[in-house]
Amino acid sequence: MSTKPVEGLQAISVTVNGEDYTALAEPRMLLSDFLRHECGLTGTHVGCEQGVCGACTVRVDGAIVRSCLTFAISVAGSKIDTVEGMAKANELHPVQAAFQEEHGLQCGFCTPGFLLTVQDLLEKIPSPTDQEIREHLSGNVCRCTGYQGIMAAVRSAAQKMQT
Amino acid sequence: MSQNQETQVVRPNEYIGARVQRVEDPKYLRGDGQYVDDVEIPGMLHAAFVRSPFPHARIKNIETSGALNIPGVLAVFTGKDLEEDTGEITTAVNRPEVRTASRRALPLDKARHVGDPVAVVVAKTRYSAEDGVDAIEVDWEPLPAISDPEESLLTSAVRVDEALEDNNIAHIEGGAGDVDLAFSEAKHIFKKRFVAGRTAGAPLEPRGVVAKYESSSNRLTVWCSSQCPHLLRTFLAPILKINEGMISVVAPDVGGGFGQKSHLFPEDVVIPAISMKLGKPVKWISDRYEDLSASIHSKGMVCEIEISLDEEHNFTGIRGHFISDSGAYSSMPFSPLVDALLAGTQLPSMYKVENVKYIVDTPLTNKCHIGAIRGVGWVPGQMARESLIDDIARELKVDPIELRLKNVLESVQQVTVLGCKIDSGSYSESIQSAARQLDYDQFRTEQKEQRQSGRYLGIGFSPFIEPCGLGTDMCHQNGMPASFHDRASVTMEPDGSVTVTTGLHSHGQGHQTTLAQVAADKLGVRLENVRVVYGTTEGSVYGMGTYASRSAVIGTGAIRLAAEDIKEKLLAMAGQLLEASPDDIELYDGEARLKGAPVKSMPISELAGFSYFGGRARPESIEEYSLASTRSYDPPETYSNGCCGVIVEVDTATGNIKLLRVAAVEDCGLMLNPTIVEGQISGAIVQGIGAALLEDAAYDEDGQFQAGSLMDYLYPTATEIPDLEIVHIETPSPVTAEGVKGMGEAGTIASPAAVINAVADALEPFGVQIGKSPLTPSYILELLREKASPSS
Repeated sequence: MSTKPVEGLQAISVTVNGEDYTALAEPRMLLSDFLRHECGLTGTHVGCEQGVCGACTVRVDGAIVRSCLTFAISVAGSKIDTVEGMAKANELHPVQAAFQEEHGLQCGFCTPGFLLTVQDLLEKIPSPTDQEIREHLSGNVCRCTGYQGIMAAVRSAAQKMQT
Repeated sequence: MSQNQETQVVRPNEYIGARVQRVEDPKYLRGDGQYVDDVEIPGMLHAAFVRSPFPHARIKNIETSGALNIPGVLAVFTGKDLEEDTGEITTAVNRPEVRTASRRALPLDKARHVGDPVAVVVAKTRYSAEDGVDAIEVDWEPLPAISDPEESLLTSAVRVDEALEDNNIAHIEGGAGDVDLAFSEAKHIFKKRFVAGRTAGAPLEPRGVVAKYESSSNRLTVWCSSQCPHLLRTFLAPILKINEGMISVVAPDVGGGFGQKSHLFPEDVVIPAISMKLGKPVKWISDRYEDLSASIHSKGMVCEIEISLDEEHNFTGIRGHFISDSGAYSSMPFSPLVDALLAGTQLPSMYKVENVKYIVDTPLTNKCHIGAIRGVGWVPGQMARESLIDDIARELKVDPIELRLKNVLESVQQVTVLGCKIDSGSYSESIQSAARQLDYDQFRTEQKEQRQSGRYLGIGFSPFIEPCGLGTDMCHQNGMPASFHDRASVTMEPDGSVTVTTGLHSHGQGHQTTLAQVAADKLGVRLENVRVVYGTTEGSVYGMGTYASRSAVIGTGAIRLAAEDIKEKLLAMAGQLLEASPDDIELYDGEARLKGAPVKSMPISELAGFSYFGGRARPESIEEYSLASTRSYDPPETYSNGCCGVIVEVDTATGNIKLLRVAAVEDCGLMLNPTIVEGQISGAIVQGIGAALLEDAAYDEDGQFQAGSLMDYLYPTATEIPDLEIVHIETPSPVTAEGVKGMGEAGTIASPAAVINAVADALEPFGVQIGKSPLTPSYILELLREKASPSS
């Protein structure tokens, strides 16, 4: 990457997981590419670049968004949360721990998007019904698990986060 | 998910059979996985491909100047530019009936399907590489395209590959007994034509390649999202004209494979070739359109199937003709025979029928090529056979479960009429178990009642066998005479920790856990002291990768042999130090103990240190002290089995199908880890449900691709899939190490036919016969429109 401003590049500053990042990028650069390649946070995955699969899900000022359909420049100045910020030091977030306990992941590629989506769900609805879980997860696809372990993980995380 | 059988952990270090949590998970949960697009190398360039918008078109000229004028674009390569640097990709199957087909990574003359790559742009960023692709002008001369596999077999058909005598990669016939006699003497003959839709593996991580060539040392490193790094290296070396030993292939974390990433693709050749030409690292990551249009398709097949029965409804004969809609190239390495021929060689599946005849054709068409995706050609074969059996039951007014139970093999070791060496199984038991799980008799009563109120519920079953643990014997038995070589190495380090390396791969299967369970038990060490290494040709021993439900069987076999070599030395050394016979010592929980006198013990870590550095104090009986062993294992034939049962409700106004219950009975022999087995069953069942109801890698009549995004190619989501009801039967294999069988594909073989049968059962009052997949709402409505209102 170039170190001095050149035509067409703009300085974009965001806060990701509490840390400040500034990088030069074209206005058309997607948030997913900005996070992965400019900030070096490769936990956010790109599965379709069409906003369908949900693997690239991140939180922008708390709201879950598709980073593959978002221009980085459009969220300049925002607070962004990615999967890398979920665990605290040596302790997994309860949603992450539940995914491990309930075999909610296999290849791991869709997992970051699911984790952030589930975190968002449980903040909004601490004790969701199965139907509410299924609807909230309907924008994230997993090709490996058949959703069985994921559903079990969400139920388990909801229960644990209540107590 | 319900589990009818819990495996108890008897002692802390008895890991085989226990529900051990996956050791690889924390990395993925924290976003620390290293997938191919996460590889960053200083000075790395980015590639993007120019692809054909036509199903079949001659390349008259490729004008590259527009691209080269774009800032950041450094080079463009066409087929001609790589002609001298790369050899052809050649697919050969060792049978006289099969035509060997060759292609270039980038074609010299024409494109053969929508998405076929014809040129590659290299730039400083991916954005500018894609700008470059947009600026390239290809002067195309569209040619007539062939999209129908049956038309492709006609002598007048447009030729897809001019180097071949005709479009058919192979016409193969096989069978046993006298099927013509069986049909001439039969009391009943039933026939069916079933057209299976095309599916894509469509792993969530698209394909990708990074290559870095260092000319000073003539070393090439290739990072590739591959299920089989060593095999990829074996394929690449002659094509790139470089010694195999000079290439390192790294298949880092792989975001799902499903068979797709067990093939050699043109991009796997092109990216290393241009890295070698430019002397720079180059990365290419597929987008979703490329992944769907130009990777591998599967299961598109025309099936004609016939069954003859005697008066008692015994199956006396079965005939099948399987015509694969093979696509534009013979896929490397499996060829389209991996679909059509495997449908043929497993035509009778788990049924005892003495007279069998199969015919297989694999005509090329102007579509993405057909290769090995989860369940391979067994899936269309299963859909055709099992839906015909249900059609027969309805016609003869017999119960479909009773009809199957009358005709299944006995659950004993045996050689089938086509020569399959069945090791063990539970054929009638698994069908009965699925029926029990879904409260079959009670369901029939409810079904009748609901029909009175206009609700159409249906139940369907699909019992299956799964040839698994793919090695040389199984491959030959299935008509593909290829040989396999798989090794594992086990090393005990000086501190007693254990390193296992394997040429198998893991892209979701959890081998870092299950293979460590095997090594830990065989050496008596704790699981946390075992590390399983795979995914690099530098770091692990040779093996042919993970696909075809092979890794549990082969990994267990090879690791057990290697671990036993080490264990023998450890016991000899413990015997000397504990002043006892090695036969009286056990290795358990990280210690060597005198059996029956556990006070007399020592840590295995000390034994390891003694073995490395004990010098002349070590027992003279041991010739060579290395605590490392590499062993290979090529398993005999082994077959898993089970039965999927499904209950659906069909909305006859909208054609929508709702899954109410799904039961999966699975017998995969001894389970290394039931939790991981259940994860594989769940994923496979749901992938099969996708094939039955949603997924369609469709082309129009002219060969134009219709499913280039995930808005068109539909995966199942959490909203369509109910909680699965999993039932285990555990019949250990008498022929494999530990009695383990494979099971990664079973669910995908089983569930589509169960869904089809449930839908046909629901619509029984309308008298419809299902003739294709997927069962889209519009297809259901079309079937209903063809029939009058319910007859009952």
